[in-house]
Amino acid sequence: MKTVLSTVRGVTRRTLLGSVAAGAALALSATPLLAQQVQGGTLRVAVLADIANFDPHQFSFVNATLIKNLYDSLIEYTPDGRAMPSLAESWTVAPDAKSVTLKLRGGVKFHSGGTLDAEAVAANFKKASDPRLGKNLFPTMSIVQDWTVVDPSTIRLNFKNPVPERQITDLLQFTTIIDPAGIETVEQRPAGSGAYTLAERVVGQRIRLTANPNYWRPNEPVSKEVVITIFSQDQAATAALESGGVDVIYGGTARSASRLKAAGYPVLDGPGPLVQVFRINSTRGPFRNAKFREAFNFLMDRENILRIGYAGLGQVVALPWAPSSPAHDPGYARTYGFNLDKARELLRQSGLSPAEMNDWKLTVNAGDQPSVAISQLVQQTLRRVNITIELDMKEGSELVNSMLEGRFDALFGGIGNIQKFPSRVATNSIYRTANNPVLKDPHPHPEYVDAIRRVDTTLGSGPEVKAAYDHLNRTLIQAAFGIPTNTYDQGIIVTAKTVAGFTLDMDNMLVLRTTGFRR
Amino acid sequence: MTPVLPSAALASAARVVRRVLAQPAAAVSVAFLLAITVLAFTAGLLGLDPLEQDMLAMLEGPSAAYPFGTDELGRDILARVIFGARTSLTTAAGAVLLAAAIGVPMGLVAGFFGGWRDVALMRVVDLMLALPGIMLALALIAVLGRSQSAALVAVGLTGVPTFARVARAQVLSLRKRDFVTAVEAFGATSSYSMFRTILPNSWSPILTQMVVLSSVAILLEAALAFLGVGIPPPTPSWGEMLRTGKEYLYDAPTYAVLPGVALTLTILSFDTIGRALSSVLEGRDTAVPQPRAERA
Repeated sequence: MKTVLSTVRGVTRRTLLGSVAAGAALALSATPLLAQQVQGGTLRVAVLADIANFDPHQFSFVNATLIKNLYDSLIEYTPDGRAMPSLAESWTVAPDAKSVTLKLRGGVKFHSGGTLDAEAVAANFKKASDPRLGKNLFPTMSIVQDWTVVDPSTIRLNFKNPVPERQITDLLQFTTIIDPAGIETVEQRPAGSGAYTLAERVVGQRIRLTANPNYWRPNEPVSKEVVITIFSQDQAATAALESGGVDVIYGGTARSASRLKAAGYPVLDGPGPLVQVFRINSTRGPFRNAKFREAFNFLMDRENILRIGYAGLGQVVALPWAPSSPAHDPGYARTYGFNLDKARELLRQSGLSPAEMNDWKLTVNAGDQPSVAISQLVQQTLRRVNITIELDMKEGSELVNSMLEGRFDALFGGIGNIQKFPSRVATNSIYRTANNPVLKDPHPHPEYVDAIRRVDTTLGSGPEVKAAYDHLNRTLIQAAFGIPTNTYDQGIIVTAKTVAGFTLDMDNMLVLRTTGFRR
Repeated sequence: MTPVLPSAALASAARVVRRVLAQPAAAVSVAFLLAITVLAFTAGLLGLDPLEQDMLAMLEGPSAAYPFGTDELGRDILARVIFGARTSLTTAAGAVLLAAAIGVPMGLVAGFFGGWRDVALMRVVDLMLALPGIMLALALIAVLGRSQSAALVAVGLTGVPTFARVARAQVLSLRKRDFVTAVEAFGATSSYSMFRTILPNSWSPILTQMVVLSSVAILLEAALAFLGVGIPPPTPSWGEMLRTGKEYLYDAPTYAVLPGVALTLTILSFDTIGRALSSVLEGRDTAVPQPRAERA
């Protein structure tokens, strides 16, 4: 399948119809094979937090348990980042890259019995482009000018400017479709077309899903019922898996996952991890000094940060990309590895006095044990280069306000959207190119803003695109207002040995439609 | 009215100590507290470093190199338990002194003057008592921020009402006694009567409260740390170790268990000594009913 798509991209990079059809055929042909391997039953899933609401446009991690089970997206990505049809059977990007035309799948029914059509998709675009209702989808819609319903099964999205192909598919993959009849009440009542329907919810305790009998994917879902139990403690969920009380743990801690993995339990980490970033407020204290900031590229003991914070589950990185990102370049992690001598040299070049170098605090998310541990590791590392700092422990709204109002010198915080089009990194607060809540306007690193703009405006798939990505990577290292250390997975899946058939989601959401029990 | 002679006071104190130590449980408790106090304040001389990280020895069990094992950053749990004692004991001592320094004068003034002063001060005490101690401490830390001094103040203020009530009760029982009336008849000022006549004769219950409240203060400091609002890391604290250690209970059971044991034994020791002291002091009062000023 990879070969098919690569060839298509090389020949007609803007017209994906052929590749999509091929992908669809392969995707559908995989189902009978899966059916031979797994069988249905009642799947018991342990999670560590209840959902926030049923709105699939709100990508809070707690909602990731349900979004892809109650709803479908317009398209999906394979774990290695290839676009695949879903509710959109095909999509065609205009030659000028200023629009994309979607052909919707026929015969798709919402749980209410309503039919998926172009008007339904248009209603979702309307919600997504409303700053009050669009939630996490709203920033992604910023590239969209308007949309046109061509016919009941065709809709065209028009863009403000020419848009790179990957950015278009990101938008389509991000867009989960809500039944227009349920948009108003979607926070309280799910209104999707997904493989499962909501049967019961006991707030704070459990959610029960039953198979959607009219689901459009043949032979799916495999399991006819899913019971999601909310555990307050990771250890309790772990004990439940070990004692056979649950079949799957979703979103447990890396340490428990690591221990269970060692005990022989299958552990799945998806293609959409987060990246831990040492966020630097370059408008404050010694961090105004570029050389001082650059030294932190070498002051991060990434291997030990990964080990201590995340039980080694993840990868060390020096750039804010997941391995599936087109801008991922593992060479940087080697070049900018932990090196106290290089750090000392940059600190010397900064010209700052010892008192100036010590004049800042490391804010710590006190409610997140990995952050507490890795912050103490960094604090101790800094002592080795004669920088003595205090930890400023914060949590809850106090922490969020500090983060979003830029009232910190430095802190560790995870960022998402790092597996998709590189400029999507700018949806994270510290990486925003405009209205940056930490660095403020005008952006203190215009070279970074230019690098993002270059990525956004370099169309195609040739060497010029690679050059734009390389330029962005170099700029990120030099600007050094965010020092990535490692990837980590918030949505780790640990399963009983009897469970198989997981579909890995690009955003590491839980997808259960193909999951069942080994025959 | 003549002040108590130092030698008489010393002899009286020595008698109390002897009678407390005559109780086996109290003697063991005193020995434990002495040992842990000496260790806590001399640990640096023993070469123990609670901050030293050994990345090759994370979450290891007890060994010759690390008798209590290591934590998630490869730090020596024994060193952290011992230095954690320093945190707990200094915070508790400071908090109890602060509580007594505020609460005792409050109680003295309220009991001595009565009237609107008594009503006003006791309503303040009622207000403080109406709030659970932990809630009051959490609110104070939210205002003061996380630090040892903030924890000390927060824990200390929660103890103020107890001292105020004990001191007031003592004043009310002594206020109309002959020796107080006599001192006033000789023209003593209010402050002289309160602080030089009544207070010296009120020490027994106050002292007992100080010991008992020490255990409460240690527990409250640990509770604040366990809730994540205590002294910030990397300063070792038993409550913080319990909080973090429970995350690694499977990998390193000693991490949470040993600070818990140290905390329990310390609280138990203070409590045992407090009970012993109370019984001894009450016994002395029965045996020698005359107030010290009159005896002198």
